[in-house]
Amino acid sequence: MTEPTRRTHLYEYHKKTGKTTLFAGFEMPIWYKGIIPEHMAVRNAVGIFDISHMGRALVSGPGSEAFLNYVTTNDVARLTPLSAHYSAICNENGGIKDDFVLSRLEREKFLMVYNAANRKKSYEWLIQHSRSFKIEVEDASDRIGMFAVQGPKAQETLQKIADSDLTKIERFKCGWTKLDEVKVFLSRTGYTGEDGFEIFVWNTPLSNSANAERVWKAILEAGNSFGIEPCGLGARDTLRLEAGMCLYGNDIDEDTTPLEARISFAVKLKKEAFIGKDALQKQKTEGARRKRVGLRMLGKSIPRPNCEVWKSGQMVGRITSGTFSPVLKCGIAMAYVPTEHAVENSPMMVKIRDKLAEAKVVKFPFYDPMKYGYRRQNNAGVKL
Amino acid sequence: MQVLNYDIPDDLYYSKEHEWVRVKGKTAVIGITDYAQKSLHEVVYVEAPKIASRIEQSQSIGSVESVKSVSDIFTPISGEIMEINTELAESPELINEDPYGEGWIAKVQLVNFRDDSKKLLSSEQYADYIRALEE
Repeated sequence: MTEPTRRTHLYEYHKKTGKTTLFAGFEMPIWYKGIIPEHMAVRNAVGIFDISHMGRALVSGPGSEAFLNYVTTNDVARLTPLSAHYSAICNENGGIKDDFVLSRLEREKFLMVYNAANRKKSYEWLIQHSRSFKIEVEDASDRIGMFAVQGPKAQETLQKIADSDLTKIERFKCGWTKLDEVKVFLSRTGYTGEDGFEIFVWNTPLSNSANAERVWKAILEAGNSFGIEPCGLGARDTLRLEAGMCLYGNDIDEDTTPLEARISFAVKLKKEAFIGKDALQKQKTEGARRKRVGLRMLGKSIPRPNCEVWKSGQMVGRITSGTFSPVLKCGIAMAYVPTEHAVENSPMMVKIRDKLAEAKVVKFPFYDPMKYGYRRQNNAGVKL
Repeated sequence: MQVLNYDIPDDLYYSKEHEWVRVKGKTAVIGITDYAQKSLHEVVYVEAPKIASRIEQSQSIGSVESVKSVSDIFTPISGEIMEINTELAESPELINEDPYGEGWIAKVQLVNFRDDSKKLLSSEQYADYIRALEE
């Protein structure tokens, strides 16, 4: 059962500079300087994350569009080459098997980036359903290094070492460039709520990590004047939570649907048959009985996963993710509650260490989108 | 004394749950050790015990929390809570900055320190305990 601990190209750096932890079988940095300074570096300037633990599959061949439209919920026909979208794989019941970002590299070539915890499951699901399509599915996870550079200074940081104009890559668009002479694929995507890029260092197996290390080092140097911080999984989690984004295994799983999780923007029921469509159509018609909501604590205590949520003397749900928000300086959480209670500003109670603490339902993101995140007003340079 | 990277003042008692006790006559001040605060890292919230509550040695009387984790405060001594460090409500990071000083957690009226002390460690014993943990 126990598989050997896996490492990424940057393992030596993480071990030397940060504190590591085991996540989805990988020994990954949890923090370097600390979760809070790393989190704030991304909100106020720029941070870099090693996310080479994630699953990456290449789907290619004349049947790729039809295949992906059948196994995923978003509309792949509407994805033009060099653009990306957020999507999900559902089971027949509409339960979420995985969530991911899909980039269209070429007319007949796609890159799917999915959760590290689902590396095996999702790859096998793709293979299993690929038989009647003219396609190839390749697990490219171990030959592509992957970093995220996130924050309002992400573009300026990368521009210093890029050989093309990055303002041309708009949000949810992609492109090829060279970073410090190394050829990379970039997508203007991320998991923090901020503007930023995800960087794929192509053809970089673990056995020859030189290019990945070179790009990492060059980005740290380029971002130095902005106060760039290397960021661990701790800040990655607090950033995505503040942004209201789901973490697979916590906030979404095979027993939750996109409608309940409020990610139905990634489901296109108007397209042809896809796995889970009937169940999702039915739920849309009938209405979901529960919804994922954001909860903000009114006091100082911090909600944690599995804490009970109470309303009018009754337990109505449980926390799926909870933490201290470095921006708001209070506890924030996600929970599933009956749809009638999923109303903004509705008061709720969270049972934390046997005490009921006051909270209220708030919208995502938790922070003020005029001050933080990719929509912030002073975000010059890119038309959104 | 300094053991590995941890500060362990000589004049305190310690528990295996990484709390310290500073005894002054019939009262004592308690807090968490340098080792505990370094393990937790950035403390963002302290659930303080209630003033006037009766506490029994090893009982959980509150928590010290970082962004990622929650750690119970197991009182190293029995007695009654006389005072709590109200500064921690606004500045929980005092626990990181000065765990044996400004980061103190509570002042306790002792009831049976003679018995309590049998389960506590001296600074030398706690230092050995830390060395063993870090091996």
